[in-house]
Amino acid sequence: MSGSTSTDQSQLGEWLAAVARGDSKAFEQVYRATSAKLFGVCIGILPTRSDAEEVLQEVFTNIWRKAAQFDATRASPITWLAMMARNRAIDKLRSSTNERAGAPIELAEEIHDETPTTAAVAEASDDKRRLESCMGQLEPQRRTLIRTAFFEGVTYEDLAKRSGSPLGSVKSWIRRGLAQLKACLER
Amino acid sequence: MNTRAQDIGTDPPEGALTAAEYVLGVLDAAARRTAEARMDREPSFAIEVAGWQSRFAPLIDKIVPVPVPFALWPRIQLAVGIAATGSTSPRGEGASIWRSLGLWRWLSAGGFAAAAASLFALFIVVQQPKPLPPIAGRELVATMTQDDGKALFAATIDATTGKLVIVPIGVKVPADRVAELWIIPPGDVPHSLGLLDPQHARPITVPATLRAALAAKALVAVSLEPPGGAPHGQPTGPIIAKGEIAVL
Repeated sequence: MSGSTSTDQSQLGEWLAAVARGDSKAFEQVYRATSAKLFGVCIGILPTRSDAEEVLQEVFTNIWRKAAQFDATRASPITWLAMMARNRAIDKLRSSTNERAGAPIELAEEIHDETPTTAAVAEASDDKRRLESCMGQLEPQRRTLIRTAFFEGVTYEDLAKRSGSPLGSVKSWIRRGLAQLKACLER
Repeated sequence: MNTRAQDIGTDPPEGALTAAEYVLGVLDAAARRTAEARMDREPSFAIEVAGWQSRFAPLIDKIVPVPVPFALWPRIQLAVGIAATGSTSPRGEGASIWRSLGLWRWLSAGGFAAAAASLFALFIVVQQPKPLPPIAGRELVATMTQDDGKALFAATIDATTGKLVIVPIGVKVPADRVAELWIIPPGDVPHSLGLLDPQHARPITVPATLRAALAAKALVAVSLEPPGGAPHGQPTGPIIAKGEIAVL
């Protein structure tokens, strides 16, 4: 119910189109279908629940006002919504004086080795499988840094601090990882 | 950029991956604003950003959904100016007293022990003349008492279906006032559950958006309001009875 994955993306797209026409019922449907997922996005990035709630409220206010800007040719509805939530949450994180004291990042080895199960791979879309595979080809330290950056929205400086590595090295690892990822996904 | 996958020995030129860094979220506030301004005036850069968003999109599947506090939806409805039936805004007038839940908790603590003790007896008394409609599922109860402990309303709640039955017990409501029922989850503001009939037991169906609030520890309360109910979605009149929801 609450997970975006269980909601048909084309249905979500239709609701967004209706929201763009000012349909408050459709807006409620979008809220029901995606708010828990988007709250998860915000909670991963922001240090407190109240920050996450504030941002989620902003995100939905924004959805109501800017649903017309959703372009189905550029992104799936949930990608558009989640990226909007990430951007808002990251901006909030940057503006907050007390950035979260994030957990140390262990680069020596993979802690969160999320090797997908066979079933999960079979179920996954092509895009997902390709990203999994290309992420899997990155050196563990690059993969860990890129994942942490994506889910927590933290700066290079923070990643350097938390991993106990020099800033220059962290930037270099991430940039090389990104270039590598792009090349791999374009093959 | 024609970096091959194996080519991991050299750094990509500075600025070549700004779109990716923006999407990944590693840029500081100033660099984010610069990137956004660039998206506005440089369509090719905007397309690059969209490209990175779709590359990373599968990672979104890994984010675990977190249940949203139910009070958020009414707040959003209010923020965008769409009708919020039976729900409330924490910014509504008269909210300040109700918002100090510390006070609320303190007020309810004393009355609750006594109310809980008399709950069973109370139900027998009120059920004899007018049997409560049968309720299936997980049952919760609450006794709403005055500050002196006198019970004014009894409630049985089926959290599964969102059905609530309120039984008034000798309540007097002034002619120019109505009784309005509220639910206040721990740490939250009051949410209206509608007007009560002070003379007769009535079933109330709680809107789906508030159903999660029907849980032990939440408070139910009755306030006196002008005809038609509290005008701004928050209680304005005196609280005549309150009680905590408990599992039967």
